[in-house]
Amino acid sequence: MKVVLETKDIVKRFGKVQANQQVSIKLYEREILGLLGENGAGKSTLMNVLYGLYHPNAGQIYLHGKEVFFHSPKDAIRQGLGMVHQHFMLVETLTVTENIILGSEPATAGVIKYQEARAQIANLSQSYGLLVDPDARIENLSVGEQQRVEILKALYRQAQILILDEPTAVLTPQEVEGFFKIIHQLRSQGISVIIITHKLEEVKRITDRAYIMRSGKVVGEEKTDKVTKEHLANLMVGREIVLMVHRQAKKRTATSASPIFCIEELQVRDDRNLPAIRGISIDIYPGEIVGIAGVDGNGQRELAETIIGLRSPQQGRLRYNDRDISTLSIRNRIQQKMGRVPADRQGTGLVLPMLVQENIAIGMHNRPPYSNFLRLNHENFQKKAVELVGAFDIRPPNPTLRTAHLSGGNQQKVILARELSREPQFLLVSQPTRGLDVGAIEYIHERILQMSERQIGILLISLELEEILALSDRILVLRKGEIIKEFSSQEATSQKIGAYMTGGQDD
Amino acid sequence: MTNNQQPSSSVLYRRGVAIVIRVLLIVATMIGVVLYLASNFWAMALIILMPLLLLFHREHGDIAALWQRSILPFLRTITIPAIGFTTAFIVGAIIMIITGDNPLLAYGALFYGGFVKNWSISLLNAVPLIFTGLAICFAFRAGLFNIGAEGQYYVGAMVTAALGIYLDIPGFLAIPLLFIIGGLLAASYNIIPTLLKVKTGAHEVITTMMLAHVARLLSPLMIRNFGGHISSPHPLVTYEISERLWLPLFSSFLPNAYYRLHTGILIAIGVALCTHYVINHTKIGFEIRAVGYNRRAARAQGISVGKIYAVALLGSGLLAGLSGVVEVLGLNHKLFENINAGYGWNGISVALLAGNNPIAIIFTAILWGALDAGGQYMQRNVQTPNSIVEIIKGIVLFLLVAKYLYTFVFQKIRRKQS
Amino acid sequence: MSELFDLNLVVAMVRLSTPITLAAIGAVICERSGIVNIAMEGIMIIGAFFAATIAYYTGNPWIGMLGGIVFGMLFSLIHAVATVTLHLDHVVSGAVLNILAFGMTRYLMVQFFGHPGTSEPIPTSLGAYRFAVPLLSDIPIIGPVLFNQTPIVYLSFLIIIFFWFVTRRTKVGLHIRASGEHPLALETIGVSVVRIRYISILTSGFTCGLAGAFLSIENNTTFTEGMTNGRGFIALAANISGGWTIPGAFIGSLFFGFADALQLRIQSLGFEAVPEELFIILPYVATIIAVAGLVRHSRAPKTLGADFRIEQSSD
Repeated sequence: MKVVLETKDIVKRFGKVQANQQVSIKLYEREILGLLGENGAGKSTLMNVLYGLYHPNAGQIYLHGKEVFFHSPKDAIRQGLGMVHQHFMLVETLTVTENIILGSEPATAGVIKYQEARAQIANLSQSYGLLVDPDARIENLSVGEQQRVEILKALYRQAQILILDEPTAVLTPQEVEGFFKIIHQLRSQGISVIIITHKLEEVKRITDRAYIMRSGKVVGEEKTDKVTKEHLANLMVGREIVLMVHRQAKKRTATSASPIFCIEELQVRDDRNLPAIRGISIDIYPGEIVGIAGVDGNGQRELAETIIGLRSPQQGRLRYNDRDISTLSIRNRIQQKMGRVPADRQGTGLVLPMLVQENIAIGMHNRPPYSNFLRLNHENFQKKAVELVGAFDIRPPNPTLRTAHLSGGNQQKVILARELSREPQFLLVSQPTRGLDVGAIEYIHERILQMSERQIGILLISLELEEILALSDRILVLRKGEIIKEFSSQEATSQKIGAYMTGGQDD
Repeated sequence: MTNNQQPSSSVLYRRGVAIVIRVLLIVATMIGVVLYLASNFWAMALIILMPLLLLFHREHGDIAALWQRSILPFLRTITIPAIGFTTAFIVGAIIMIITGDNPLLAYGALFYGGFVKNWSISLLNAVPLIFTGLAICFAFRAGLFNIGAEGQYYVGAMVTAALGIYLDIPGFLAIPLLFIIGGLLAASYNIIPTLLKVKTGAHEVITTMMLAHVARLLSPLMIRNFGGHISSPHPLVTYEISERLWLPLFSSFLPNAYYRLHTGILIAIGVALCTHYVINHTKIGFEIRAVGYNRRAARAQGISVGKIYAVALLGSGLLAGLSGVVEVLGLNHKLFENINAGYGWNGISVALLAGNNPIAIIFTAILWGALDAGGQYMQRNVQTPNSIVEIIKGIVLFLLVAKYLYTFVFQKIRRKQS
Repeated sequence: MSELFDLNLVVAMVRLSTPITLAAIGAVICERSGIVNIAMEGIMIIGAFFAATIAYYTGNPWIGMLGGIVFGMLFSLIHAVATVTLHLDHVVSGAVLNILAFGMTRYLMVQFFGHPGTSEPIPTSLGAYRFAVPLLSDIPIIGPVLFNQTPIVYLSFLIIIFFWFVTRRTKVGLHIRASGEHPLALETIGVSVVRIRYISILTSGFTCGLAGAFLSIENNTTFTEGMTNGRGFIALAANISGGWTIPGAFIGSLFFGFADALQLRIQSLGFEAVPEELFIILPYVATIIAVAGLVRHSRAPKTLGADFRIEQSSD
């Protein structure tokens, strides 16, 4: 078989971080190649180098055997590379047609020939079976449709090599099936595909061959039909990992105990004023971890924001310690010792330019010991922070550092330190490990389990099914704003939950 | 750290030296302040020692630590401003050469006039700038841009001129009263932008700017009602306020002070210190900073963003209003039509130059004031038009604000070398 | 009432809205590409100064107009360098440029006319070139309003139509719209966001320079320091209340032009009982009302005001 694309010893540094260390890969014609690795393993960096968005510090790229250098994505596109980013590069306010032709518009004297463009797109979408309405605005399309637009965008530019970054991360299972079909069809039309993913399942199902990356290096190359998932997983993480269960199955301590936190018939609307949560009820008992599983965009964000207090419920109540808190201000909720770890660490969780000690105090900064009357007590800020920085192993251990200078994992520890030091009885944990490396993930999981041992009731919202399975005592499946199924940890498997997440439960 | 141990003799010796130096510094500074205010320019050198003294005190008298932790970083932080100033002055020199002026003479006059000869005018100029600079800074820390500070300045000035004409009570009662009333009314002038910002999200840049024009355009109406006559030649002017309300001049209690500097400068410095304290050491200041850096995270921690916006915009209006009050009470004693010398815009310059640090604003305002005073002196004595100062100010501002410029230039140089 | 509202008021509305319309179109283009431009006030004053000065020295107002445009664009280039290349905060850069513009015009007034304040009058203004389009100007109402005007007013009509077409139908227009919504999407498809934003800012320099020329050499015969009187900010408001679209911005500008025409009319009628100042502030009050009432219903470009850079690596 012919090699269409090859990289040799690509090196890419960001400051002191080596994002790619001498990465060499090959892509054959009509191949579906997997690039497997954890978050931060350097997959996306490599793809951005291939696509001309980053310039490598060293190394070469060969296309059909000839060395090429991409100054910008324009070069890469011209040479037949197409890329579908994990976060779609679509302009929401423009139409499908405008998005597809953007940058390569058919035009005379700068005036776009929309009729011609529409015809071309209709042609393309028929020959590849990618059906979309060319006049719809992107903001009105489903995620699956948006992905099809992205693929069309690449095909419109006559891409021969298609790079897909985490293509199934945001799709529902049905959409995933459709996506697989599309990929096979593309291959049959002569297109070579690279799929970047951290999902073992996906690599096994769809790819022919896969490279496994870890901390910026290629650590393995496998034919995917012969290899086991466990082997792939070990390569990916670099040591034996137990795919699940650090947790000892525990029983609810006393079934007679009353729940610490209740969500009662909650209804919430989203930013566009459409129902996002449609009447859900959850009881969380002390010492219990309740996991909310679901595909992104099924109401997780709205649920978390309502519990934090950023969003007010349309109907229903939240009850904490037998007290109705749904009308309480955010400040009052914090001072009632409700802990919360928001999903968007840097946007909602922390004020990055402020000091670590200030981020630890914020929320309680208006009470003793942090302040009295009007004045802040900086000594007490520091005293508390020094204690917590030690206890949570936050590095570097300097509470007067700006939080922005900490790594993602340490930033998350600052949030955990803040919330736990307030001795909550209930804790909302939303997406606690997104974008963190394995070490940090493990640390944070341990902490969450420790908390539940201390009889804190925990509501865990995560898009990572593995995480939900590893930590939860009970698992609720959230779909279209409703709880459609409850599993105990014993009976839960990712297959069963996955079926409910996607609405394909009747198997 | 060594709480339980007996301090060794060398430590004791060092502490002894430190105490002696500290006492000397305090005495020297006190003498310096007195001498300076009594018009001895060369006492300035002693005044410069004051910040050093403060830092020295902070480091518990350890000179090595002082050098490492304060002086060295200070030198590093002023490198870029120094480059900016030098560049601006070079550009100014080039313009002068083109227009046929002698830059050496002009700059000589500029500095001699601004920092030596007419230093008191520099300080006089700085007084309103400190207030407007603080006003811009206070809103900026909450992420808001009170670009219309000039409008609140007018309100403060108008209120003071109007009340000052009729208020016939002793100064020690009336002056604080005017500061309070003028400040509060100026703050209330920002109520509309505040409400619109919080309720509808209308951008404060547009609303405050429009209100600034409204205040400026309405001022003749007010002036006519308090003494100005349409028939009188321009500029329109109100009656003078009662002499009991004038801020005392330094010359009224310092025998050697022949200059016209009024005590407003002390009030300005005091207010700057208060603003610094509020921003860095109070709950509301903490919340202002949090909202300014990341309003979403601040909100998630129970801070009311609307409340902080209101505090910041109204507080900013108050500070800008005080600027008008102090100008009328201290310097003009009446209100002219279009008395503006662009205090709002200059306040923005001063605040940006100071990196929105209230203490630094004192110094940048004095610097700006000195450039103005020196410019006047330069025009009188070497006939270089003082409007060149406006150009220099603009370039300095641009070069200091565009911090990325230096990274950009260094990168280009390095790339060329490699 | 009949002496207050008549056809001449509408004619004056169109004329007085011209500088605001021009600047507002610049604002639409600029903000659609993702750049906040509060430097427009300063660009206008620079344009007004150079138009008047060049017209004064050459005796030809047309060359003055071109001069105003060229210097407006040159001045806007600073905003482009500062915000796009040097990643400076857009609002800060705009404020600094306004300060620089006021300082520069003060200095240049002294250099070219020997004194600050107001310049000497130019020999012929563009206002003298008022002409009626044959036939069209005979149409009742529309004729005198639209087809019996001065050159820059006509030019502004063409500019409205031209840029409306550009944003809706052309490649560069599509790129500008995409640049403010999702610049990375544009960049990953091989279109330089930097280039698009430079073009957009220079466009606003073009229209604001022309707007300045209108003020000093068409509507007036002299340049006066500060003669823009906040029109740059009013134009920004017109753009916002017009929902970041060209027709919307035009209608918004007409509204402010109307407020301006009305206050002039009332002043000329001379009500004894009410001081004229209360009418002079009308356009400013109208602006506040417009941004307050309308801002909620329109959606700003998504990345408006945000810095854009691709690579944070050190190579």
